[in-house]
Amino acid sequence: MKYEYWFAAVAGIGLAKRMRLLELFGSAKQLYHTEEKELLKTGVDSETVTLLIQSRQKWQLDKEWEKLEERHIHMVTVEQGYYPRKLSRIAAAPYALFYKGALPDEEQKTLAIVGARNCSEYGRYLATEIGAAAARAGLQVISGMALGIDGAGHSGAIREHGITHAVLGCGVDCCYPRQNRSLYEALCLHGGVLSEFVPGTPPLPQFFPRRNRIISGLSDVVVVVEARERSGSLITADYALEQGKDVYAVPGRVGEQLSAGCNRLIRQGAGIVISIEDFFKELQVAGISQPPEQLPAKKILEKDACLVYSVMDLQPKSISELVEKTGLQVDRVCSILIGLENVKMIREVSHSFYVRSEMFSE
Amino acid sequence: MLSLYSIVRTAIVHGIESVPVYVEADVSDGLPMFEMVGLLSAEVREAKERVRTALRNLGHTLPARRITINLYPAYVKKSGSSYDLPIAVAVLAAMGVIRAELLDRLLIIGEIGLNGDIQPIHGVLPLVAQAREQGIERCMVPSGNETEAALAEQIQILPVAHLRNVIHILNTEEFENKEERAVPKEPEEKSCLDFSDIHGQHFVKRACEVAVSGMHHMLMIGPPGAGKTMVAKRIPSILPALTRAEQLELSKIYSVCGLLDNQSALLTERPFRCPHHTISPQGLSGGGSVPKPGEISLAHKGVLFLDELTEFRHETLEILRQPLEEHQIRLVRISGAYTFPADFMLVCAMNPCSCGYYPDRERCNCSPAMLERYTKKISRPLLDRIDICVEARQMEYRELTGEQKQEESSETIRERVAVAQERQRHRFRGTELCYNSRIPAADLEKYCSLTEKEKKYMEHIYEKMGLTARTYHKILKVARTLADMEDQTDIGMNHLSEAICYRSADRQYREGAV
Repeated sequence: MKYEYWFAAVAGIGLAKRMRLLELFGSAKQLYHTEEKELLKTGVDSETVTLLIQSRQKWQLDKEWEKLEERHIHMVTVEQGYYPRKLSRIAAAPYALFYKGALPDEEQKTLAIVGARNCSEYGRYLATEIGAAAARAGLQVISGMALGIDGAGHSGAIREHGITHAVLGCGVDCCYPRQNRSLYEALCLHGGVLSEFVPGTPPLPQFFPRRNRIISGLSDVVVVVEARERSGSLITADYALEQGKDVYAVPGRVGEQLSAGCNRLIRQGAGIVISIEDFFKELQVAGISQPPEQLPAKKILEKDACLVYSVMDLQPKSISELVEKTGLQVDRVCSILIGLENVKMIREVSHSFYVRSEMFSE
Repeated sequence: MLSLYSIVRTAIVHGIESVPVYVEADVSDGLPMFEMVGLLSAEVREAKERVRTALRNLGHTLPARRITINLYPAYVKKSGSSYDLPIAVAVLAAMGVIRAELLDRLLIIGEIGLNGDIQPIHGVLPLVAQAREQGIERCMVPSGNETEAALAEQIQILPVAHLRNVIHILNTEEFENKEERAVPKEPEEKSCLDFSDIHGQHFVKRACEVAVSGMHHMLMIGPPGAGKTMVAKRIPSILPALTRAEQLELSKIYSVCGLLDNQSALLTERPFRCPHHTISPQGLSGGGSVPKPGEISLAHKGVLFLDELTEFRHETLEILRQPLEEHQIRLVRISGAYTFPADFMLVCAMNPCSCGYYPDRERCNCSPAMLERYTKKISRPLLDRIDICVEARQMEYRELTGEQKQEESSETIRERVAVAQERQRHRFRGTELCYNSRIPAADLEKYCSLTEKEKKYMEHIYEKMGLTARTYHKILKVARTLADMEDQTDIGMNHLSEAICYRSADRQYREGAV
């Protein structure tokens, strides 16, 4: 494998050229041991030869491989049997994949959950619940570990002890965004973190659109939760359509920027998620269980609490707004809010802003 | 010929206190010269020219002899323009123009113009007040400072407008007869800002009342145009009236800064200071080689309002740490250590994010990284000292224009605040404490004890919300204030839950953790 690692790490060679070199020489080992003159003879252009020679001189085969193993980073190339079959079928399949944890299980269906980074609380909630429901249904969840929808999808699956994988736009040893450190570590335990980039690659903007083809390639179904027009999530959806995967989108209100991309997908023929149950029924996946905790019915709430609850919805509402709208005393509203949060009917999403936490009961 | 000697008593402002200084003048034989000694700064040296010219213009040409002026104690650096008049008087006494024996137990301060006019100076009130404490009977002050000087009672004030008056008064002893005193005018109109001007915003108003009742520091977070500044400006109107001693102390600070109005010298209203966010650390704390009080001292006994808190420079805000704990600021300069009172209520306002609309995602498009960067601008230690944190929100059109019930006036709120504060004073009698916000962590058990039921509740909340010990303490203090406002001996569940809603933004932006 150390030869393959060297070959994957040679900088400045595009994917197409790399694959052609592999075809010419049969294996990375062969290529490594071919003399300069031989290389030139086979018709490889001189620039590439220089790159190969230079990197051969600098690269310490054994030492580099040891370093990789020390960091518990695994590697698989297209030549190997356990390279994900789903991925090998897509156009521009990466030569090598680096991963921490494990690769996705080929036997299991995989759901990709993608969407905006600056999502709304509604979107975050929905992504988490879809992730959780997928985990309960025995689906694997794959996404990009970004802030917002991506991260919410992962954490929903982790919450339900499901399997979930992240495809990064940088080396797998680099946690980007760094706020997701704990998620990154959880992912290594509950699935894996994958990347086509050599460990140590920094997260550069141009890498992210490319990694989206791997997200869609590894999945069977892609669901877009919230996306603006011209968002990265739409790139994933485009790849998915090219690769022949099913694409679903969560609809939003007309004119809402955060849902404009989703609505456009629906217009173009994407499936619609009208409820989580319905979505999974449509996927024909059996064994979807109900949410583990039954929420208390609204009826048992006392009159004032009922009033406060009825004023709330999935958009964050501030305490002062609730005070004005209900006309109740401040201390009364506060007690009710804390009571409702205690029974998990509402959540505090930001300082003194609350949303309803259930959406499909009633 | 005999040498002639005289001594005049004056004083110098040190912080907001004063230090006595004596001016000696000696006229003796020798080469004609006018010399001044005694650690003088440039503006005091210039007094020589002003005095010489003013005296000549009055017809008292200085004799062609050796005139020596000494200001002592020599270790005190003398600065400011208040020495002109004492120097002139000392010279005149040494020349024999005025009678020297009258200068005993008379404090003289004032600046002289070239024509002999006496100009008003800064810091008269602390000088006169201290003189009274030292048992001095009379004070000669510029007539422009008369009302201010009269604030210090039980001391005779001799206002003078011209050097001629000075000579006249001292030679004829006319001051013995002068009985009528300048009476400071009552401020004609009180500030017209009132909480009844604000419609709706009951949550923020309530938070203000709680904050003032326990003297808790407060932070308002809200979008632009939510009325944060409007609310803050009205907070002084619900603070209890200043006592006479507080008024004097406050007036002294303003006197040193030259901010007292001679017409109605005594400050009767609580100050409201809102420095712009470009203010320097020295502007906030007080500064200069001989420090003058800064904004935090000018806000003493009142409100210091920091609008756009995130825009203040980091090192400026860090200045606040010590004054917030000790209620005074100590500045050490080469000329000595100065202590200024700084017992203010801190009110801050900020936007929730750089565009101002988070968490309304329809309007706010700030990325999580931007949100984090925005909130990180405020240091943790400063947030830790703020007990109450509320969000202000934009009013809807209906709330602004619809049928309005009469809103509570500041006066009504102020009465309730006074009762709540009285209750605290009663509880803390015999200790140095006076407000709930000042309870040290060690005494929380004593003053904010909870019953079994409430303890269980807080234990549950503590774990569920992942509170820190500091936040927990803040909740207890605010709950204590809420109980005081309702005249309850024990802290109840409703007090605790309201206090929890006021706690500061410990977990404001959770997107970081997804």
